[in-house]
Amino acid sequence: MKEVMLDCYGEACPVPLVKAQNKLNELELGDVLIVQIDHSCAMKNVPEWARKEGYNVEVEEVDDGEWEVIIEKNK
Amino acid sequence: MENKQVKFFDRVKKNDYYLKWIKSPFTYVTAAVLLSLFQIVTLAATGNPWGVSGVFAYWGAWVYEAIGGSVDKWYYFASSGAQATLENGFLNHAGTFRNLGIIFGALAATLLASGFKIKKIKSKKQIIAATLGGLLMGYGARLAAGCNIGALYSGIASLSLSGWVFAIGMFFGAIVGSKLLVKYFM
Repeated sequence: MKEVMLDCYGEACPVPLVKAQNKLNELELGDVLIVQIDHSCAMKNVPEWARKEGYNVEVEEVDDGEWEVIIEKNK
Repeated sequence: MENKQVKFFDRVKKNDYYLKWIKSPFTYVTAAVLLSLFQIVTLAATGNPWGVSGVFAYWGAWVYEAIGGSVDKWYYFASSGAQATLENGFLNHAGTFRNLGIIFGALAATLLASGFKIKKIKSKKQIIAATLGGLLMGYGARLAAGCNIGALYSGIASLSLSGWVFAIGMFFGAIVGSKLLVKYFM
């Protein structure tokens, strides 16, 4: 049960999404991936993809224009 | 006084209407419908279909003229329409105000959702990619006599075959672009 941070600050779409997809593939069942983003369109497409895949997803606004997308690899 | 203000903004932050209309992004469908409605308004009000990148060519010409250059002999600005637009100037150009509206509107939307942030440049690669991408897009859009708005969106909206041809080209271009992006940017 690891918690992995993925720093995508300063990256524009679709880089955060592809990075998140690649990173999640490396993780084990039960691990949690936290994607840090500051590009508002990633705040839409990263959770959208993860939910479609059936993972538990939460989006947290950590600061003005900064979000953390928390994805649990639950399957 | 200050205490009261803080309370007011704390209240706004939790207001359902604020969250629904200002804070959270519209769905793609809502945005698409709004864009379609407003491009009809644009066509009706200015007599020209919506375009974005063509305006930047005029901005460039005005800047160039302001520092003493002349575009009179340039093929791109050779038509009498283009000459008239240049002659009338920045303040009489509908497209200029539309583009300024897009820029300030985007800023306002970001500020209202308190999502404004000056982003850091992460690597030299980003600078190179952004510069190269910008040059290619700008140059390509002028060669094609339109960008994804003027040539694609407005083209298709006015039932012109050229819009669909543009769409096919853009689709395959986007595939190549994505492959390059994954190869060099991951």
